[in-house]
Amino acid sequence: MTYATPAWAVAPFVCYLLLIATLPLFIGAFWEHNLNKLIVAALVSVPVLVYLFGIRTGGGQMLLRTACDYVSFIALLAALFTISGGICLRGSLAGTPGVNGVFLAVGAVLGSLIGTTGASVLLIRPLLRANERRAYTTHIVVFFIFIVSNGAGLLTPLGDPPLFLGFLRGVPFTWTFRLAAPWALVNGVLLALFTIIDRVIAAREKRNPRKAAGISHLPASLQEPLRLDGAINLFWLLGIVVVVFVMGTYGTPLFGDSYIRSLIQVLGMLGCGALSLVSTKREIREANRFNWAPIIEVAVVFIGVFVTMIPALSFLGERGASLGITKPWQFFWASGALSSVLDNAPTYLTFASLAVGVTNSTGASLSVENLGALAFHPSGQHLLEAVSCGAVFMGAITYIGNGPNFIVKAIAEQHHVRMPSFFGYTLWSIAILVPLFGLVSHIFF
Amino acid sequence: MIKDILVCLEGSASTEAATRIAIGIARACSAQMAGLAIIDEPDIRAGTPTSIGGASYKHERDEALVADAKKLADDWVALFERRCRSAGVPARSLEIVGRPAESILTEMEAHHLTVIGRDANFRFETEEHDNRTVNAILHKARRPVLLVPETTELELGDTVLVAYDGSNAAKRAITSFAASGIAQGRAVHVATVDDDGVVAREMSERAVAMLRSANVPATAHNIVSELSNIDALFKLARGLGAGLMVMGAFTRGRLRVLFSGSVTRGLVEQTEIPLYLQH
Repeated sequence: MTYATPAWAVAPFVCYLLLIATLPLFIGAFWEHNLNKLIVAALVSVPVLVYLFGIRTGGGQMLLRTACDYVSFIALLAALFTISGGICLRGSLAGTPGVNGVFLAVGAVLGSLIGTTGASVLLIRPLLRANERRAYTTHIVVFFIFIVSNGAGLLTPLGDPPLFLGFLRGVPFTWTFRLAAPWALVNGVLLALFTIIDRVIAAREKRNPRKAAGISHLPASLQEPLRLDGAINLFWLLGIVVVVFVMGTYGTPLFGDSYIRSLIQVLGMLGCGALSLVSTKREIREANRFNWAPIIEVAVVFIGVFVTMIPALSFLGERGASLGITKPWQFFWASGALSSVLDNAPTYLTFASLAVGVTNSTGASLSVENLGALAFHPSGQHLLEAVSCGAVFMGAITYIGNGPNFIVKAIAEQHHVRMPSFFGYTLWSIAILVPLFGLVSHIFF
Repeated sequence: MIKDILVCLEGSASTEAATRIAIGIARACSAQMAGLAIIDEPDIRAGTPTSIGGASYKHERDEALVADAKKLADDWVALFERRCRSAGVPARSLEIVGRPAESILTEMEAHHLTVIGRDANFRFETEEHDNRTVNAILHKARRPVLLVPETTELELGDTVLVAYDGSNAAKRAITSFAASGIAQGRAVHVATVDDDGVVAREMSERAVAMLRSANVPATAHNIVSELSNIDALFKLARGLGAGLMVMGAFTRGRLRVLFSGSVTRGLVEQTEIPLYLQH
């Protein structure tokens, strides 16, 4: 059997993902500069561009389609980043196990509305402030990463970048609602476990208040009432939800052409972001230490991801069944394992494409360009559910599995929370998350 | 006679004790002091796996931690200078940006004695504990090191116990200690531990002779005990009321069984009195 996509065309994608994971470790100073990232992205893209324009039939069209996805993807992330950066939770809270549990529970819901990155950045500083008088806070941040930065994002395409990539490729906005059960199980178990651990640690701090003052309520004169500054941004957030939902659900009957649809969606999202910018006081953004560097970095790095993944996704779509991963539980663990060490957005698309290939081997004729068909295929939908859960949940296993993980770690360290090393954190997640994911796999896949 | 003492500054209780003891020695020996604070920028800025979008947060975190380390170093240096001034001891201070072990090893070459808190954490911005720095210094230092635990009394006391195993490092420790001036006015005891009582006696007498030739009178003890070497030494030190123990560190000589790396490490970890160590 001959395939349209040669195996070598996948090499730049694999190579680029490995570079993203390892360059910050070995040449961190080089990787800090966005221009250097752009150069790396351009270099790995060259062979793919040569392949698309010189060898592959219809390669230019594939690139154009991917470029549209890229613009929509970055527009959503930029808009959510801008809006969440305009909301600031202020006030004095005591870091009791109850308050911490409420924080994480709110984050578990908020993550699906403003994205796990937005929820993480919005909530982590108030949570750290609430706990700054406690001696042991590492577990609070670790569970925050598990719940708010990862598990929370499963319910909507806005929650986690992989799901939005799926949405851009045709998965309906409301399709992810069907993942409510695994979302509730994972976040519920983690919240319960966190509450137990935090109570035990808080009790120990009370018995041995050597290192810090422990949980304490500030005197009434020093207490600042809890308030949400920049609440207007909740309105712009709603705007994003409406734009994404309407364009995803009614875009085709309203506008037909997919490029026009994408353009309107991008303009809508960027418009909400722009309105957030002009309607938010400068001091709120200063309090959030808002700047454009993270989103520029994301935009630059994902240029390479989107270009190099074109032949990789096509390759997997063509040969899916022959790669030996065919069952939902295999998709769950395989997509999860890769998501834990590589960014989970490209990993999601990789395995969703593999799922298309596997489904096609049963007689279907699905396309990697339209995951919407996969989402409703009798057997394919289970594969996509497994990929969605694996990519979202298991992004929590390491600091690099999902964007906000490292962001939360860095912010916590700025607040002098002693965070575990890369491997130390991974031990936490192996001890807590892997058994939990085993349960998820057993029940749902 | 010691004329120049380097004190490694950071925020632990053992460094507070180390500074106090160093000031006492400087006053007794009319020595000048140097306080060294280290800003461990290389470890703070070390490369680490970052998620996409995390590089700017890492940069921000690095800047914040470096600024914090700089501020703490300034505070410790200012406190050190104040304490030296009030004790009437001439002092200068320096702040170095670099890896702690390498920075201290380089700087200690210019000083007769280096005083370090036993539980000092020079990598306080990135690590909860820092055994690595003290270990590296004890393994590589060519000058004597005075390691001071938090539990040290206000002063060194009147009695010194020299733990001697006949190794080159132990000989160097005795020589430098005798020349340091710290022994003046203090009763010095020499202890050796060996299964063979005759060998132990000969060894301790050689050490006593070495000290005597440097005008330091000393008393020999040979320990025959069912306790471990470490426990036997601590028991003798307690019995003598010693406020300081002198020894060769991490020796590699033929009698390394006594003061092999693990024994040195055990003494360093468990000591309640300062250790004068020479590698």
